[in-house]
Amino acid sequence: MALRTEEMLLNVGPQHPSTHGVFRLVVKVDGETIKEAIPVVGYLHRGTEKLAEDLTYTQIIPYTDRLDYLSSMLNNYALVQAVETLMGIQVPERAEFLRVIAMELNRIASHLVWWGTAILDLGATSPFIYAFRDREMIVNLLNELSGARLTFNYMRVGGVKWDAPKGWINKVSEFLPHMRKSLKEYHKLVTGNEIFLGRVKNIGVYDGETAKNYSLSGPTLRGSNVKYDIRKNQPYSIYERFDFDIPTGEDGDVYDRYMVRMKEMEQSIRILEQAVEQFPDQGEIMAKVPKIIKAPEGEVYTRMETSKGELGVHLVSKGKDKPYRLHLRRPSFINLQILPELLLGRSMADIPAILGAIDIVLGEVDA
Amino acid sequence: MFNILSEPFSWINLLVIILVAAAVLGIVLVFVMYAIYFERKVIGWMQVRNGPNRVGPWGLMQTMADVFKLLIKEDIVPAKVDKFLFLIAPIIAYTPAFAIIAVIPYSQKIYFADVNVGLLYYGALSSITITGILLGGWASNNKYAIMGGMRSVAQMVSYEVPLIMSFLGVVLLTGSLNLREIVQAQQEGMWFIVPQFLGFVIFLIAGNAELNRTPFDLPEAENELVAGYFVEYSGFRFAFFMLTEYVYIFAMASLMTVMFLGGWDAPFEFLEFIPGIVWFFLKFLLLVFYLFWVRATFPRVRTDQLMGFAWKVLIPLALLNVMLTALFKTLF
Amino acid sequence: MWGKGFFKGLSFTLKMLKEPKITSQYPDEPIIMPERYRGIHHFYPEKCIVCNQCVRVCPTGCISLVGKPNPDPEKKGKVIDTYDINFELCILCDLCTEVCPTESIVMTNNFELATYSRDNLAKDLKWLENNNTKVREENH
Repeated sequence: MALRTEEMLLNVGPQHPSTHGVFRLVVKVDGETIKEAIPVVGYLHRGTEKLAEDLTYTQIIPYTDRLDYLSSMLNNYALVQAVETLMGIQVPERAEFLRVIAMELNRIASHLVWWGTAILDLGATSPFIYAFRDREMIVNLLNELSGARLTFNYMRVGGVKWDAPKGWINKVSEFLPHMRKSLKEYHKLVTGNEIFLGRVKNIGVYDGETAKNYSLSGPTLRGSNVKYDIRKNQPYSIYERFDFDIPTGEDGDVYDRYMVRMKEMEQSIRILEQAVEQFPDQGEIMAKVPKIIKAPEGEVYTRMETSKGELGVHLVSKGKDKPYRLHLRRPSFINLQILPELLLGRSMADIPAILGAIDIVLGEVDA
Repeated sequence: MFNILSEPFSWINLLVIILVAAAVLGIVLVFVMYAIYFERKVIGWMQVRNGPNRVGPWGLMQTMADVFKLLIKEDIVPAKVDKFLFLIAPIIAYTPAFAIIAVIPYSQKIYFADVNVGLLYYGALSSITITGILLGGWASNNKYAIMGGMRSVAQMVSYEVPLIMSFLGVVLLTGSLNLREIVQAQQEGMWFIVPQFLGFVIFLIAGNAELNRTPFDLPEAENELVAGYFVEYSGFRFAFFMLTEYVYIFAMASLMTVMFLGGWDAPFEFLEFIPGIVWFFLKFLLLVFYLFWVRATFPRVRTDQLMGFAWKVLIPLALLNVMLTALFKTLF
Repeated sequence: MWGKGFFKGLSFTLKMLKEPKITSQYPDEPIIMPERYRGIHHFYPEKCIVCNQCVRVCPTGCISLVGKPNPDPEKKGKVIDTYDINFELCILCDLCTEVCPTESIVMTNNFELATYSRDNLAKDLKWLENNNTKVREENH
């Protein structure tokens, strides 16, 4: 006689310690295996794209800070890149170097938060503190540069707002060997641990074709053996001058995405070392732009690589100082699409591992 | 001092027994308070931050403040629970943890009950706690609690088996289940951690799983199912479940000290002027520190991997240990 | 051998026991922010020329001001009468100090603004003028 079983409908609710923000996942479970998973988003929607129709370009920059709040510099750059492409402005060299240094530091900080919280969801509480210890140093550096710890509002159309204070570049170059040592310690603490490997190996596997069909980007794409990084394939800013690799994973499981992000941190350190070395001694930090920035009529789509993936900005301008329409192609939102497929047939205990490997930030999912 | 159990019954004797039991309860509660404080401090220091340090000098009053907060909370009994089971589940979970402490010999002269089947008493009572947890999960009328309760019971039942089997080796070497005789055998020979190293390691891992602590704390996983089997308990009843866990740590650590580390025995001859109870306490502290150390370091093990590990790895290893000990004893 | 990862992890956390602590004892010790930190504003009423640039550039629209004609009949232009910043809306983005031509609205390094009631968050001219500790030197 077969036992009568029922499916339970569980709510991994908006308030939950491990959903990285206000994210709701409705799962149908049969015992412990997941039969269906439906993500529900929109709890953090603030209407950035609609608000942007009534703000001048400089006023939109603080709003872009708050999209993926862990990597504000990268989001700032996406917007100013779109406007500069439309206006055809050439940014001075010192400003470009400052931008790249700020962006790569922010990429490391964002990956550190990812590492700490993903391991925290798996149950180990200590790596979180170690990650934030290093992130505190980066945040202090960026605080000295721009005046804030999280939402920097640093880039402007045509350059950057502040020049580096005296001695800042030296502080950055002192920080880099320390970060390298920390990365080695993180590998010692977590990567070799057998319990951790048991939780992440062969979980959430998908191949490169599936990844391309879902239009994933960033480490979620590179973990499945697709070597595509916008900084190398369609270089923007001054990334052509730096020598760095694109790490890929082979199997497409959670462990590979983990290793891709750890290696990306090393590559960012490499870029930073070269940028600090090649930093020009003097130069302008702002190009000659009119006081009121008016983009010529037209539309443009520019893209760049943030820590989560490809952030694209589609800008339609009718010649005024405010955009006609601003649309943001947000990587966390697109990457989240693959979650229901990955969760089918797995147990409830795999949700934190898989969600941690996709690495979403709710500010970006909901805009 | 404690031959009172062999004297004829009289009301005075009963009063003395009750008072001694209350005193031991007091000592155990003080231990629990400072074990919680010690745990938070150790984990804090391993995470390069201070632990509690504001309430009282160096934060020593922190647990008292936490317990006081739990005591003054409103006693919420949800409407649709099975009332009787809901109320007695914490009591069923707690009582065996406290009752086990009676058989452990703390030093040459300080022991409470010299029971010839001490180890068997321990193994039997520690299983009753599992019933309490299952009742708590069931009576809460909440799907998260039931899932957590089921997981917890499956885990604890599976890890009972290697736990008990791991000290069969010690019993074989001593020839008795009496805990005092086990310590005396170690005093004459060497501490059982050396010949029974495999048993010691198995006991460490299985003990960790029995206590529902990291890395085996999936039933309490806040990150996955909000708080598991005690999600509906609040205030003092929740404090009871937490108390159970920490009194169990006391019981398990003292059992490990008695069985593998020589109880009250001093490690070297010339150190014997230090009283036995101090040695017991030091070894006991070392084991408790190990439990906190593991909690600060490792992530959680998934349920199916947990079960696989118990049945496919620990039990064969424990059986191997018993067979090797038996072989060794026959040949020499 | 299987289990090597465990020992590496355990030895790492044991080594961390002796490291200096990274937490700071706020509020017993104050937090010192760097020179450029964008904190709460400070206002110089005598420098303001009522050009309204700060009102126009604010992304959240939290500044409101009223000017009055100069009481001195010789001089032309306006002086400031009331100046309000609503700190429920202000995101401390620093655009207002960037556009001010006379540097009459500047930022300080103070950040402690927590109160028990939301009414206290609408700051007026008097309060902003009195908030004159740790004023930033560089404003552009």
